[in-house]
Amino acid sequence: MRGERQLLRVGEYLVGRACQQLPPDTREERYREWAAELPAILHDAQVRPAPRRAVRMLGYAADTLRGTIMTPGMARGHIPRLFAAVDRYFPVIGLVVVAVDVWGVVQAPGNGLDYLQLAWSLLFVAYLIRKRVRPAGRVTALLGIGAILVLVAIGLWSAAQAPGDWVNDFLAALLLLPLLIGLPLAWWLRRLGARGRHAAPSGL
Amino acid sequence: MTGALERVLGAFLADPAEPRYGYDLMKAARLPSGTLYPLLARLERDKLVASAWETPQQEGQRPRKYYQLTAEGIRNARLELAHASARRQRAPARPGHPAPGSLG
Repeated sequence: MRGERQLLRVGEYLVGRACQQLPPDTREERYREWAAELPAILHDAQVRPAPRRAVRMLGYAADTLRGTIMTPGMARGHIPRLFAAVDRYFPVIGLVVVAVDVWGVVQAPGNGLDYLQLAWSLLFVAYLIRKRVRPAGRVTALLGIGAILVLVAIGLWSAAQAPGDWVNDFLAALLLLPLLIGLPLAWWLRRLGARGRHAAPSGL
Repeated sequence: MTGALERVLGAFLADPAEPRYGYDLMKAARLPSGTLYPLLARLERDKLVASAWETPQQEGQRPRKYYQLTAEGIRNARLELAHASARRQRAPARPGHPAPGSLG
């Protein structure tokens, strides 16, 4: 087949990328196993025409990434690492929010909303510290999520009240962005995890 | 037992003595690699499947990994497939979809 070598190289690249998700002790073996199937798929005489074999081979290679995520006991890869990075980013957000809120209170000591915002941001930071020390229970998690949502609501409301105020806009964006990234990511990971568990042999 | 697992076990049991490689199982069970390999990993972890590398026939040929049900795996697979089949037979036919042969 024309371009066979290039196709195989693309397939090997995809399998290699998938294997990067695996723990170092299994990575090499899985790569050898999965890469060994690529030429077999590309030369499978039962599948015709040749472009169909190429598509099948590339599909196989690309789907190994899903395999690494679903495999039990495998290291969780890029996506969870991204999730962990977002999670690491939260304490920084918390401290920035508290600093901005303290600054807001100092600037306008008579504004009750600033005190409320500061109280919520302190609760948010307390939740983050509690989460670092010990895995948060359901009530603590709900309190923390509640604090985040109220903070977001206050931030958006403040931004809407004073459209030209860059501090409010910055705060709203700072709170909203991780939520927009983190929540779909958490939902997707949960779904993947559930599918992985359901695929587990029952009693077998 | 999931449908995917049922198909993998069915593929193995078609000839329990014959070692099968990943692509062969993918075709037999009609499963994508992202579904098949995690299943094989679980079966191997539970010692129901054993794996071994083939000896390359030609120079430069990449060896493949072959999977085979263990004795315990064969026993459990037969049992599970029999249970699954019995469950399907016990399940009442859906209204509007009479069982074949039940009419006339």
